[in-house]
Amino acid sequence: MARWGMVIDLDKCTGCQSCSVACKAENNVPHGSPEEHIKRTAPFWHKVIAVSNGKYPALSINLIPMPCMHCDDAPCVTVCPAKATYRREDGIVIQNFRRCIGCKYCIVACPYGVRSFNYKEPDEEEYHRPDLPPNRADRGFWPFPHRVHGVVEKCTFCFHRIDQAIREGKKVGTEVLPACAEACPAHAISFGDLDDPDSNVSQLLASRQWIRLREEMGTSPKVFYLPR
Amino acid sequence: MSSDFVTLEGKSRGYRTAVVVLGVLAFSGLIAFIISYIMGHQMFGSSNVIPWGMPIVLLPYLIGLSAGSLILSSLTYVLGREEYKPIARMAVFLAIVLIFGAMLSIAIDLGRPEKFWRLFMFFYMNNMKSMFAINGVLYGGYFVISLLYLGIIFANKPSVTKIMGTLAVCWAVLVHMGTGAIWGFVAAREAWFSPVRPLEFLAAALASGVALLIVVMVLTLALSDRELKKEVVTSLGRLLTVFIIILLVLIVVDKLTHLYSPHREAAIYMLAGHYSWIFWCLQIGMVAVIPLAILFNPRLNKTILWVVLAAASVVIGVFFERYYLVIPGAAYPQQYYPGKIEGVWGALGSFNFAPTEIVLSIGIFALLALIFILGLKYMELLPARKPTKTVTEEPTEEAVEGAGEELAEENKEAPGPKEGSVATSEG
Repeated sequence: MARWGMVIDLDKCTGCQSCSVACKAENNVPHGSPEEHIKRTAPFWHKVIAVSNGKYPALSINLIPMPCMHCDDAPCVTVCPAKATYRREDGIVIQNFRRCIGCKYCIVACPYGVRSFNYKEPDEEEYHRPDLPPNRADRGFWPFPHRVHGVVEKCTFCFHRIDQAIREGKKVGTEVLPACAEACPAHAISFGDLDDPDSNVSQLLASRQWIRLREEMGTSPKVFYLPR
Repeated sequence: MSSDFVTLEGKSRGYRTAVVVLGVLAFSGLIAFIISYIMGHQMFGSSNVIPWGMPIVLLPYLIGLSAGSLILSSLTYVLGREEYKPIARMAVFLAIVLIFGAMLSIAIDLGRPEKFWRLFMFFYMNNMKSMFAINGVLYGGYFVISLLYLGIIFANKPSVTKIMGTLAVCWAVLVHMGTGAIWGFVAAREAWFSPVRPLEFLAAALASGVALLIVVMVLTLALSDRELKKEVVTSLGRLLTVFIIILLVLIVVDKLTHLYSPHREAAIYMLAGHYSWIFWCLQIGMVAVIPLAILFNPRLNKTILWVVLAAASVVIGVFFERYYLVIPGAAYPQQYYPGKIEGVWGALGSFNFAPTEIVLSIGIFALLALIFILGLKYMELLPARKPTKTVTEEPTEEAVEGAGEELAEENKEAPGPKEGSVATSEG
């Protein structure tokens, strides 16, 4: 079984936010108003944070795209009382909306702030794009068919694309990518099997120094960053 | 021995007014809940930074009061201290009402309250590594054990009562430490993560439980013209002093462990941030400084009035301790990457008081007070008057006064917005 992981080259990232936009479009994540964004109640599956170090003129800005880290030892999976969050065999941490009771314990426990709560009845109720061909099998199986308020949602590494590619015998990582990786104009985001030594992610990780976010939490995330 | 206890008459105008006022408040809470259920949690003040709001503040607070007053009832039924007997039944009943309130608060805070039953599918549909699932076992068991305990007390079987009381007390300790673990085991939130947290919660539970019991006991007994021994109050006051000191030590140890480690930004925010006045004035001031000043004063700690004031201060202060932990404790932004995170992702969390949430919280308190005074009317919880007095006096009016006052005290547990209801029930 593959162990899916992502490598983000911060040297190539320009902070254009294409990945965030592509994620919103692919997964039909509600947009949220500016007020909701300031109040932090708008859902985000993917975000790009800007981290500054030093003072102008000796100032450096790091732009960090942050999808879910899909930790091997995920705190959200540990704390979920209803088994709504679980780790698939291929390492993807996924949320079952049918089981989620909305206790928000996972939002509290996540060290990366990647989880969002549905604070209101969303306008976009489908998880798939209604403007794309309506082949539900190709869009993948969603555990909870319609978006409702009161459940927690998060990045899925676009598991519907991965599952579809495996069904159709396409190669994940080259032919098929998650939406954020596909949309990146600078090809900063690579996706592939961490256990396969020939995959592009393994090659990248072997070629350069890499970091993971908040190693001190001991969560062993599967999103790697190649620093500038 | 059950003839030692009587029901409240509850036929006067004051009692009926209290029931109606509380009923209206509880009903408005129900309306607020329905609104929040239909509209979603946008009606609350919480956000993805501070995901837990007022209902979750009420959870540890009510659990603490419940566990504390149940542990106090063991003084009579397990340790055999007869002087506390008049309040023992009330203490157990209060514990049951409060644990019900705590479970209600959790259910209300869930995004999908209709899936509440999933918390009680122990081992089958629950992830038993989760502190919430473990606490589901603890709370459910605690509710059942307290009900059985009260039933056995009513059945008047002293030997079984002793066994059941011991079990209930041990379970209450577990319940409270488990509640502390919900916060203490979350590594991602620096201000919460602490091995001392379960013990701190237990100490806070004991202190607030004793304090609430002092207040309830004095108001009920004194105002319904029942016999009240000064020694009982002052000895409970001494017990309260011990618990406050233990709590204070644990708070200091908790803050020191956070300040000593290099990740001290969140702890400094908690001690000196823009919400720190809640910590210094309302938590430390009302839980420790004011009550200890009263209880260590050799003149004041002998007077019932001052001991009750100290106890009321603790009851309110412990509420703010929970509040400060749950809401500002989550506000400090997480450090995803070394450096200063710009923009909204690195901003301090803000929490707005939403009207729905306040009405809902008041509604929970009102519902609990309503259940409590109805319980006084329909169950034999109050100690009987001295036979001479029962014969000579008309019992109803005073008893009702007592209930009204006590009710006011119940309402006083909550912060600011409660004042209105206090005035109502006093008036």
